[in-house]
Formats: sequence, C-alpha cells, structure tokens
Amino acid sequence: MKSTKFIFTTLNLSKEFLESIFTLASKIEQNLENYSDKCKGKILATLFFEPSTRTMLSFESAMLRLGGSILGFSSAKTSSLAKGETIADTLRMINGYADIAVIRHFLEGVGEIAKKYSSIPVISGGTGTQAHPTQAMLDLYTIKNAFGTIDGLKVALMGDLKYGRTIPSLLYGLAKYENVTVYLVSPKELKIRNHVRQRLKDFNLKFYEIDDVSQIIDELDVLYVTRIQKERFPDQLDYERLKSSYKISPSTLKDTKKSFILLHPLPRVDEITPEVDDLGCAKYFEQAKNGVYVRMAIILKLLGVE
Amino acid sequence: METVKEKKLIVTKIKEGTVIDRIPPGKAMKVLHVLGINENYPYTVALAMRVKSKKMQLKDIVKIKGKMLTPEESQKLSLIAPNAVVNIINDYKVEKKIVLEIPEQVSEIIRCLNPNCVTNNREPVSPIFSVVSKEPLILRCKYCDRLLEGQNLSEQL
Ligand SMILES: [Zn+2]
Repeated sequence: MKSTKFIFTTLNLSKEFLESIFTLASKIEQNLENYSDKCKGKILATLFFEPSTRTMLSFESAMLRLGGSILGFSSAKTSSLAKGETIADTLRMINGYADIAVIRHFLEGVGEIAKKYSSIPVISGGTGTQAHPTQAMLDLYTIKNAFGTIDGLKVALMGDLKYGRTIPSLLYGLAKYENVTVYLVSPKELKIRNHVRQRLKDFNLKFYEIDDVSQIIDELDVLYVTRIQKERFPDQLDYERLKSSYKISPSTLKDTKKSFILLHPLPRVDEITPEVDDLGCAKYFEQAKNGVYVRMAIILKLLGVE
Repeated sequence: METVKEKKLIVTKIKEGTVIDRIPPGKAMKVLHVLGINENYPYTVALAMRVKSKKMQLKDIVKIKGKMLTPEESQKLSLIAPNAVVNIINDYKVEKKIVLEIPEQVSEIIRCLNPNCVTNNREPVSPIFSVVSKEPLILRCKYCDRLLEGQNLSEQL
C-alpha cells in the first residue's frame, strides 16, 4: 500500500486508514508522555492564508506535544501571497524549511497543487468550503469513543450544510462505515450542494434531507450542530426566523436516547444554549481536546514515525 | 428538384478533409463553431441538417475541405456530438473512420465555474474534469469537486 502523504479530503481515505489513525490517537491519549519526543528535530509549517485560531493552535499543540517545532504565518496579509505569490511557489519554498506542513486556504483544490508541487507531506487545515478533513476525523474519533463503533449509528448534521467546510468531509468519512443513517437538517437555503449529494449517492449512504430536527430527535445517536451565519441570508428577516428554529436548548433534547451525544465543531455563538453544556450528552469540549490527539496521530502517520 | 440538389450537395466528394457524419440533428452549426469554421474559412464547407438516416432517423452532416481535427477538437466534438463518425478523407477516399466517444476525462477545453477553484486563480494547473454521466452530460472538476452540467456546460461548448 502506498503510504498517505497528503490529506486534503476524506473521499479517498479508507476505513482501515481512519481506524489506524483512531487507534493511534487512542494510544496517544492514554500515554501522552510516550510520544513527547517522537518528532524531535522535525518542523511543522503552519501556512494559514485564512486565519483560524482553533485549528492552528490545535496543530501547533499537536506538534509541540510530539517534541517537534513549528513555524508559519496566519492570514494572507502577513505572507507574500499579498504580493502575488502562488500557492505552488509557497509550497516549494516551504519544502526547504519544514518536514511537514498544514495549509488553510480559501481556494478550493489546493490538494492537487500540493500533490504536484510538494515533496513533504501536507495536510489541509480547511480548504474553502470544500473540505476540513482533520476536523471530520476528530469528530469521527469522538463518536467512536462514545459508542465503540461508528457502524450502524444514526447521525444528524444540522445547520449550515452548504458553506460548512467540515460537512462534506464528515459525510464522506461516515460513508466509509457500515449501515450508517444520516439526517441532513437545514433550511432549504443551506442544504448540501449538488456535488456533495451526488457523492453520497455514489457511496450508497442512506441519507434524508429534512428541515426539522424534532421529527427524528428521539431516534438519534449523534446530533452534529453547525453555526448558521447571518451573512448567508440576503434577507435578515429570514435569518432571524430560522435562527430560533435551529437552536438547541435542553427542551429540544428532552426525548433523546440515553446514549445520545451532541457535537459542535466550535466556536458556537448561540446555536447551543449554555444550559446544554452541563448535560452529559454535550461532547463539544471533549471534541476539541480530541483534536490534538488525532492531529498528533496524523502527523506521526504522515512522517512515518510511529 | 430542390431535394435532388440537396442530395447532390451532401454527396459531393472532397479530395481531402473531414466528413463528420451522424451528428445529432440540429447540432451541425455548433460543430462548425467548435471547429472554428466561420465565414472566413477559405475552402469548401457543406452542411446538411436533419437528413434522413437509416441508423438514427434524422442526422446532421458536415464536410470540410482541407481540415484535420486536432485532439482538442475531437475531444470537444465528442461532448456535443457523442457517437458522431469522423471520416478522414485523403485523395477522395476514406482513410480513417473514428467513432467519437465521450472520454473518461476532459482536460484543457473547459473552464471550472467556481471562482474559488485553484484553476481560476493563476496557479500553475489547468482544468481537468472527470465525466460523471454521459447522458445527460455531467462533469466533475478534479480540483474543487464541483459539478458542471446543463446550460453552464453547454455554454462552454
Ligand atoms: Zn473547480
């Protein structure tokens, strides 16, 4: 098997690969100390052409916990992109400075450029509205930790399914598992895009597009909530009307199964009320912590140091 | 008398060039457009639309003297006239007969419509699409994964 060098999508990641990352992340979680010098002398470059505090900190924490070093930039203004450098040139330059890189960019299709122009492993830290594979992987890891398996689960994704970059990545990841049922809950303006729907059909994933989570809340194992942003609506009245119907409070969750879990990629604004945080089902802070273990596992895997 | 004339025009032989037969009815003008044949083309061009055909009821035919198709032109042609037959004529004889087929992958000739696609942003990569469906024709950008279909696609052909 050819070893994986680039992670820009979950489309082409096999269940075996995902599981190997989760197994390693779990080992790391149980014995963090054992990994503290695995990447000694190695450098991770963080190329954030679009600012993202959380994803960048998570990657930096992962590399530092592995004993490696980091260098990089955040936002295009501080980089030479503002002066017109191509991504291809930035990657070729960084090849001489680092051993592995993570790149966040608003343009879509950056993975193909990395494949063509980078000799070191590169990971997406978020690609336009196209993909956010490591977020999806840490989401899957959190689900797996809660249920022991992902096969057979009923998962609802709710909110902005059109612009949310994690949504396609999470769906393609879920599609690798057996007998998963997915409910896509969103206002009609924010449904998944056609190219994503086509992929789901090709994967034979069982999915239903609905606009009200209360219809299915009692059947769900997982509810994954994403933020609906005001800017997505030309008419602010539509936004105000929808905002409340896509808000999770303890009363929304009163009929859930005992084992039910609630996830959110964070940061949340007001789509989940603070009272929900105290419920046992709220796993979003655990999700954030898991992100570091999963990214440590990914870095180790791509660098071939296990 | 009119029909006899028409028939004669269609069967008039050309010494060298290309005859494209079994074009879906009504698409002949589009075929010429794709091949860059316009009013300034210096040699004989014959076009027949909605001719009776044994195999497909009605078809279009074009004959172009002095024209050889480039690979790009053949590729583009296959998208607007799938299953058309390209006859390469040399010295009044059919030298080669190629049945056009929609390829698995389409490159260079079509642009991705997603403004945020790397292919539209001065990166050193050129557009490549995979064919998701042949009927109706649906393409998928290899870079940003978006689909190109319907009018958005036909406008580019
Ligand atoms: Zn594209």
